[in-house]
Amino acid sequence: MRRYAALRLAQAAGVLWAAYTVSFLVLDLLPGDPVSAMAGAGADQAGVDPAQIARLRSEYGFDDPIPVQYVHYLGRALRGDFGDSVAGGRPVTSVIGDALPSTLQLVAAGMALAVLFGGGLALAATYTARRWLRQLLLSLPPLGVSVPTFWAGLMLVEIFSFRARLLPAFGNGGLRGLILPAVTLAIPTGAIVAQVLAKSLLTALDEPYIQTARAKGAGRPRIHLRHALRNASLPALTVVGVLVGQLMANSVVIETVFSRNGLGRVTAGAVAAQDIPLVQGVVVFGALVFVLVNLIVDLVYPLLDPRIAAAGGRRWRPA
Amino acid sequence: MLAAGLTALTACGSGGGGSGAGAGTPRTGGTLTFAVGSDAGCTDPQQVGSNDTIYSVRQLVDSLTDQDPSTGKIVPWLAQSWTISRDARTFTFHLRPGVTFSDGSALTSEVVKANFDAVPKLGPLGLLAEGYLSGYQGTDVVDDLTFKVRFKQPNAQFLQATATHSLGIEAAASVRKTPQQRCAEGIVGSGPFTLQKYVPSQSITLAARKGYAWGSSLWKKQGAAYLDRLVFKILPESGVRTGGLQSGQVDAIGSVGRADESALKSSGVQLLARANPGVVFGLSPNNTRSPLTDEKVRQAIALGIDRQQIAQTVFPTGTQPATSVLAHTTPGYVNVGAALSHDPARAKSLLQSDGWTPGGDGVLQKGGKKLSITATWAPVAATNKPALELLQQQLKTIGVQLALKEQPVAQLAQLQTSGNFDLLFGNVTRADPDILRSSFSSKLANPYRLPATGLDGLLDGQAAEPDQAKRLDLVAQAQRQIVQHAYTIPVVELQTELGVAKKVHGVLFDASSRIQLHDAWIG
Amino acid sequence: MSSTLDALGVLDAAPEPGAPERAVRRRAGAGRTVRFFLRRPGLVLSVLVIAAVVLASFWPGLFTSRDPLTGVPAQAFRAPGAAHWFGTDELGRDVYARVVHGAALSLKATLIAVAVSFAAGGLLGLLAGFAGRWIDDVLMRFVDVLLSIPALFLSLALVTALGYGTVKVAVAVGVASVATFARVMRSEVLRVRQAVFVEAARSCGTRWYAVLGRHVLPNAIGPVLVLATLDFGTAVLAVSSLSFLGYGAAPPAPEWGTLISDGRNYLANAWWMTALPGLTIAATVLATNRIARALDGEWGRR
Repeated sequence: MRRYAALRLAQAAGVLWAAYTVSFLVLDLLPGDPVSAMAGAGADQAGVDPAQIARLRSEYGFDDPIPVQYVHYLGRALRGDFGDSVAGGRPVTSVIGDALPSTLQLVAAGMALAVLFGGGLALAATYTARRWLRQLLLSLPPLGVSVPTFWAGLMLVEIFSFRARLLPAFGNGGLRGLILPAVTLAIPTGAIVAQVLAKSLLTALDEPYIQTARAKGAGRPRIHLRHALRNASLPALTVVGVLVGQLMANSVVIETVFSRNGLGRVTAGAVAAQDIPLVQGVVVFGALVFVLVNLIVDLVYPLLDPRIAAAGGRRWRPA
Repeated sequence: MLAAGLTALTACGSGGGGSGAGAGTPRTGGTLTFAVGSDAGCTDPQQVGSNDTIYSVRQLVDSLTDQDPSTGKIVPWLAQSWTISRDARTFTFHLRPGVTFSDGSALTSEVVKANFDAVPKLGPLGLLAEGYLSGYQGTDVVDDLTFKVRFKQPNAQFLQATATHSLGIEAAASVRKTPQQRCAEGIVGSGPFTLQKYVPSQSITLAARKGYAWGSSLWKKQGAAYLDRLVFKILPESGVRTGGLQSGQVDAIGSVGRADESALKSSGVQLLARANPGVVFGLSPNNTRSPLTDEKVRQAIALGIDRQQIAQTVFPTGTQPATSVLAHTTPGYVNVGAALSHDPARAKSLLQSDGWTPGGDGVLQKGGKKLSITATWAPVAATNKPALELLQQQLKTIGVQLALKEQPVAQLAQLQTSGNFDLLFGNVTRADPDILRSSFSSKLANPYRLPATGLDGLLDGQAAEPDQAKRLDLVAQAQRQIVQHAYTIPVVELQTELGVAKKVHGVLFDASSRIQLHDAWIG
Repeated sequence: MSSTLDALGVLDAAPEPGAPERAVRRRAGAGRTVRFFLRRPGLVLSVLVIAAVVLASFWPGLFTSRDPLTGVPAQAFRAPGAAHWFGTDELGRDVYARVVHGAALSLKATLIAVAVSFAAGGLLGLLAGFAGRWIDDVLMRFVDVLLSIPALFLSLALVTALGYGTVKVAVAVGVASVATFARVMRSEVLRVRQAVFVEAARSCGTRWYAVLGRHVLPNAIGPVLVLATLDFGTAVLAVSSLSFLGYGAAPPAPEWGTLISDGRNYLANAWWMTALPGLTIAATVLATNRIARALDGEWGRR
């Protein structure tokens, strides 16, 4: 087990390094000229003249050969320094750090709602004996993944803020301000939770041990919740990494819709301003979160499921 | 006195006054939440030019003088009195005693001198302030509260300039910082509010200054402001601002467009409107870029625009189509509307005579090159995008393809410095015709890259002309030349329209149609 | 879809007397097809929706004769009604006409995105699965890395580097799902490679490219094509998200995501500018997902 953990840790570090490299290749080598962008943006308000561009070029090391630049930047990144944001001039790490809490709040609330509604829907759909109800419930998740999140958010604003005037339309104002964005965020994620859980619940209900339990005379609720759900939620755990990635990505759109401060809005702004260091920081941060979540899932999974621990670990990524 | 004669001409537009004047007894305390659409990325009043940000940073500083929005008269503020030499080259000010900045330092002649001395070094964002001080020779400190500002040549517009936010007085500690630091860290002023927190692109929070006792002579309330706190939230979507005001999430919003008027009115919101003086909203070409170097192309574009339609479709009720390069509320304005009529037939024939022939897709072309021009704009007002799309639609009918390119507000100054644009869409607010010189003289920053012509002489002449009648004659000639050669293409006058909740009182427009919040209170 | 039409056509024609056996077989097949669709009205509706979207993007004139770019300012903000089915926008342009004409832009972007991920991902997977050994290892580690960056973030990084525009956004969206395609392709190639007929072809001394082209690829491509149809809906959403954020086509182009982001400015007074284009997107995605699901399982099990 310890060897497995060490291996997984090394793998995670490898993926992060590679993610950094990919973002470096995409952002620093593709056509868009970062120097002209920097000279033309943000707080660095000297005029754009060739001399200044040349100065910036050498200052940021763009005159160096690509490998030299890469090693230089990677070295800095390893020390947690992703450079300064072009617009605003603050260190990328502190820009991300400042924006993070409100996004975490949103993502956590969205995840909780997604599990609550998605899980509840899956349970209800598999539990009910009425065919039409099951059909109806199972037709909701495909709807949930088909609706553009930004549009769902706008419609909620239109209905609950502008018409009914029940909830704030924008901003970070406390719990009430969190409701609409979190619900919006939970729609596509909850739909996926429901689909995955319903599928594995149906599989679990067909297993022999359920038949055994039934034969022993256990009641339907007991079979459903104690036996089937317990076994069905384990496979569902493997998609947590995917869900967190999806939640973070959706937060970009949702924070824009609700004018909420946070990492997503920072990202959208950074893309608009061609703020390359900041975009790179966000991309690597996204990969870090994804890798960490998967690492935790993988390390916790064997503890929950003794069959896998016995088999000596499994391939790390859920399909 | 010279300035009085000049500004007496300021005819003020619709609205005027302010919100809910005289309704109930003013109450002290409370927070006013004001939603604006954009952030200039800077909190230094001397460097900010876009209205959305001026609304907040204006409250940080006091000016030497103030300008009465209804008469245009220059009145005391930090300066109790002043005299102007007969040749309009030397201005002597007497400061009010006992004024302090929020860092505790006192307002003295030395501090004002330091402010003026630093203005020419402000760089690209300081274009307005630099223009006001053009020909600046120096400031002589006579005593602690008396100083003389000297200019190389007569500078008729300077007294009005001292009333603007651009020449608001900052503490010595702030003046010593670099322009970039002042933008990012904010500045220390003597104004009725102090900067509490600035989160770029998100919010600007101000707190009332305790012990403030040197307000403008125009203000009704003596001493400190009524409100405790001002929060300026940056909400880029006008729909969100409007909805936020209707649902009570914010107390006031800037830049109301025509689309939102009826909804706001029906929910009991007060709409405050005032026409902005200065250079109207228009398409300003980079005059060195082909095909805009061609005067006929510029003139044809000017003829292809239906200004009335734009004013009536997009802008707030009461907005006037441009009838000159200056708004009708600017002193010295002359109506040259005949040259700005909508005449697509003449525009087409002008382009035809210039050698442009119709291409397959309806866009004119010459020598294989399409008549396609890019208009660059920043989202400083909710009306910009629909106005430009309508312009695009109108110009298409004369065979001109107008592409639209949006840029962040913070990049506007950069663009002007770099000249990296075909057409810029924008306006400049100022209650003095000298704004023509700041914008169009080839001897100053010359953001639109005009060639050196007789226009320069007119612009310099009006700035130096102590005789009011003669000055205004020069201003009129300058307007005619600019419009005739289409150095800029005027479109529509800016009328600032604010939406203010019923419970908010005493939001006052200043002479430049920006706001003063010292007298504002929430009932 | 073509098989549906074919089947329906056969039903109408009387069976030829000379070929009774074939006709019976075909009729049985046709009957099954009809029953298959009759039991799934949702699927039929989905096919109709997609057909409409495709038609609109090639021949928008079939659906509207109005100009999507030129409006009548005096008719701004008309609510939906007989004259304007989807209402009008701030410049008096017909929102329905804009949605119809926007279909071409949005469909183009979606097709480019799916094509990019299909071609690049398919190639990577094919190479990894067929070549095996270290090439497989290297390529699959690279794919793991791509998978570890949330798709939208990867797209945003690409948009930052490439700039704005429909095609650039489409490419950015496409690249973000290359990894998924590579994985599916690889696992299919691995499965097929071990099949008896491939082993047989190899042992007969058939050249590797012939094995690849004649045996492996045709048998492995099926699930990848299903994935492509599934990815279609995802791509519509991703493209519209990016154009909603303002990285898509410049105004006045009526891309679907852009229409919603424009409408957002008038949410308080013109709900139709946001609601109706959004419903169009949702209907399109729902329909493609439904069709993909049918292709994936139900059709085969028929």
